[in-house]
Amino acid sequence: MRFIDWLDERLAIRKIIKITLIDYKVPKNINFLWSFGMLLVLMFAILFISGLFLLMYYKPDSKLAFDSVNKTIMMDVSFGWLFRHVHAVGASIVFLLLYIHIARGIFYGSYKAPREVVWLTGYILFILFSATAFTGYLLPWGQMSYWAAQTITTLFEKIPFIGPDLVIWIRGDYAVADSTLTRFFALHVVFLPVLIMIFMGLHLYAVRVVGSNNEDGKKIDKEKEGVPFWPVFMSKEFFVMTVFLTFFFYLVFFKFDFAMDKINFEPANPLQTPTHIYPEWYFLAYYEVLRGFFFSQNLGLIAFALSMVLIAFLPWLDKSPIVSGKYRPLFKVAFWVFVIDFLVLTILGKLPPTGIYAWIGLFASLVYFGFFISLPIIARIEKKKFRGTTDERN
Amino acid sequence: MKEIKILFIIAIIVLIGYWGIEPFAHHEMYGNIPEPDFKYSDLKYKLNIQGNPQEGESLFKQNCQSCHSLNAKNLKALMDKDTAQNAFNVVPPDLSNIAAIVDHHFLFNFLKNPQEATKNPKFAMPPMSQLSDKQIADIIAFLSSVAKKDISGAEVIKDGCTRCHSIKYKKITAFTKENYLKKYLGKVPPDLSLKGRSKDKEYLEAFINNPQSVLPGTSMPRLGLTEESTQKAIKYLEDIADPHKEERNKIGFWVIVYMLIGVVLTYAWKKKVWKSVK
Amino acid sequence: MDEKISRRDFLLYAIGGWAAVGAGATLYAMYKTWEPLPEVKAAGVVEFDLSLVQPGEVRVIEWRRKPVFILRRTPDMKSDCPKRTIKTKLGEFTVVIGICTHLGCIPNWEPENHIWHCPCHGGKYNACGINIFGPPPRPLEIPPFKLKGNIIVLGEEGPEYKAMKA
Repeated sequence: MRFIDWLDERLAIRKIIKITLIDYKVPKNINFLWSFGMLLVLMFAILFISGLFLLMYYKPDSKLAFDSVNKTIMMDVSFGWLFRHVHAVGASIVFLLLYIHIARGIFYGSYKAPREVVWLTGYILFILFSATAFTGYLLPWGQMSYWAAQTITTLFEKIPFIGPDLVIWIRGDYAVADSTLTRFFALHVVFLPVLIMIFMGLHLYAVRVVGSNNEDGKKIDKEKEGVPFWPVFMSKEFFVMTVFLTFFFYLVFFKFDFAMDKINFEPANPLQTPTHIYPEWYFLAYYEVLRGFFFSQNLGLIAFALSMVLIAFLPWLDKSPIVSGKYRPLFKVAFWVFVIDFLVLTILGKLPPTGIYAWIGLFASLVYFGFFISLPIIARIEKKKFRGTTDERN
Repeated sequence: MKEIKILFIIAIIVLIGYWGIEPFAHHEMYGNIPEPDFKYSDLKYKLNIQGNPQEGESLFKQNCQSCHSLNAKNLKALMDKDTAQNAFNVVPPDLSNIAAIVDHHFLFNFLKNPQEATKNPKFAMPPMSQLSDKQIADIIAFLSSVAKKDISGAEVIKDGCTRCHSIKYKKITAFTKENYLKKYLGKVPPDLSLKGRSKDKEYLEAFINNPQSVLPGTSMPRLGLTEESTQKAIKYLEDIADPHKEERNKIGFWVIVYMLIGVVLTYAWKKKVWKSVK
Repeated sequence: MDEKISRRDFLLYAIGGWAAVGAGATLYAMYKTWEPLPEVKAAGVVEFDLSLVQPGEVRVIEWRRKPVFILRRTPDMKSDCPKRTIKTKLGEFTVVIGICTHLGCIPNWEPENHIWHCPCHGGKYNACGINIFGPPPRPLEIPPFKLKGNIIVLGEEGPEYKAMKA
């Protein structure tokens, strides 16, 4: 008997492959933006593996962490520098992939019924990735690691009644200290990756049940207009992944400063704040919303929290019967204004919050919330126009 | 076609974002780093006498050897390291290569008034007011005669910096003990192991050339390094902070070549598979 | 028949409830593991003998991972700040947390000028800890304290501290 038959008898391999890969059909009319989910899985695997090898030499102790990264791993361990570069650049690039993936979902209406659970599990994954990045950034124990953690954990002090005690509980000390490092290490290495894997499974299952959306937002007959996942769709995926990896490795070897800030090559000094503190690029927009309401610290905090949560409500904010943005001229305008606004907020988050920048920041923060407010309004306008036309509901 | 258009839009947004977050923001935050002045034109005394190295040697033994050693001529300092630290809170440097590291116009002014030349009112070395201009010129001529001709960046750092700065990744400990440095400078000077990576070249040039211009109020003295020594020192700092740079560039090149071949192969397979799709 | 079903359901609910109690207890234990360790909590209250400070001298001690400046004022120092003055038999003291209210750097005491000068952006505070120049928006913060004769106890709110906050 051939080996594949031996395996098939015990694991039903042929049936599994047939159901999950060959009989599974995806729409033909999807562009390469639909490949970003696969890229995210790829990037998570790369982060997991590079992280595993860093884990073999990293020391989670406030006295040892910095040198274990910058001397042992970066200078002494063979290819240690490569694993560190891959992990740092990977952590940064994963958010670029996430934002493009989310933008695709927003533009083409992939959050609309019956895909709400896909959207929510995706949102939770975004939060999990953000928490993983935040806890991971403390680990090298550089100046920016320490002060980013110190500043952001301080924000929680403002929560009424429980704030100050909550912050001490989170840190395990009165300021970010060794206890904070070790617990962030546990979260970053075990707890959060496990949660990510669980929610990735749920997310992919939810997609499988309802099927992928497509550019036109139409419900399609997959038998007639779909292509088999394997080998047709995967052949395109391989090509997209290879192009992406070329770009990724270019960054890893030649252009990595954006993911390895110079300030973090100074060991953490709790008694000396750097002149400029800022988060990694993917948090800059929310950081700017926090600072944007410069006249009120409390308003800024509420806006900051809201800016990271509102997106979860998209399926209920926008119930327009037209699914894809391709056919929604008003929505297209709102969408592109939102994209440009997010870009502006991101850049402003890195700039000193003074003078004209403070005012642009306030304006851009208001536009950000304006997008979410505009969605139900646009949906209502479209509903009125839609009544009486042929049903194109998904 | 459509997917190229989408890729193009993404590329534009990413490039604008990158420009805003990296070069533009860095410029806004760190503003203008002042230009270094390697001529030290603010120092007013002019060295325009030709010195005599032989006379310089005996002047050195009478005026300098009490605190400074000169390893190039096997001259030990009369004061040992521990006594020196106790007295001055810093170990005086060996002067074998000082004339190769430091600008002579600076050195001339330095010997007349170290506090003014270094811009540190608490600088440990007293002014050599007992020496005439000719005598100072003689000492400088003597020091030039013993200094190494082609000094390396590592030697510049060792002779110029390590009395206060440690480089722990290179197992170099500062000559002066930490408690004395704290008394002398207010705090222990930072370790130099990663300065080549945590600061950019412009900053290091301006800082080494004139610390006060970049960090007003700092206790680091201006040390009068020539442009050449400054560049050598910075190159050394960059090399020790990033020892795998060459290897990284070499491997990176071949990885990109490998990936590009992969792009060609996967594109070919994709085209073949999709040919049969209607 | 109906009785049997309702008993089965009741037992199921009882088991569910009982499991929830166990889970609650476990979560409580997990919550407690994140509290500061005893040696950190102990350092949350620090005692210092004010008589160790010479007139005109500033001592810096660590309290809850922050530097605390203790200045024993001399008569020629700025002292018209009753709400920021600690009166003892030894004289008047300024006790403030040494973290600049601008962006968190640690200001340096300049004995010649009787001011704290922040190296980061030039902010200045007088001998009462009040911001007098530069970007700092507020005076230096006063830590909760209690007086036991000449000993100051940082981390506990005594009547003198409460009077200052009033």
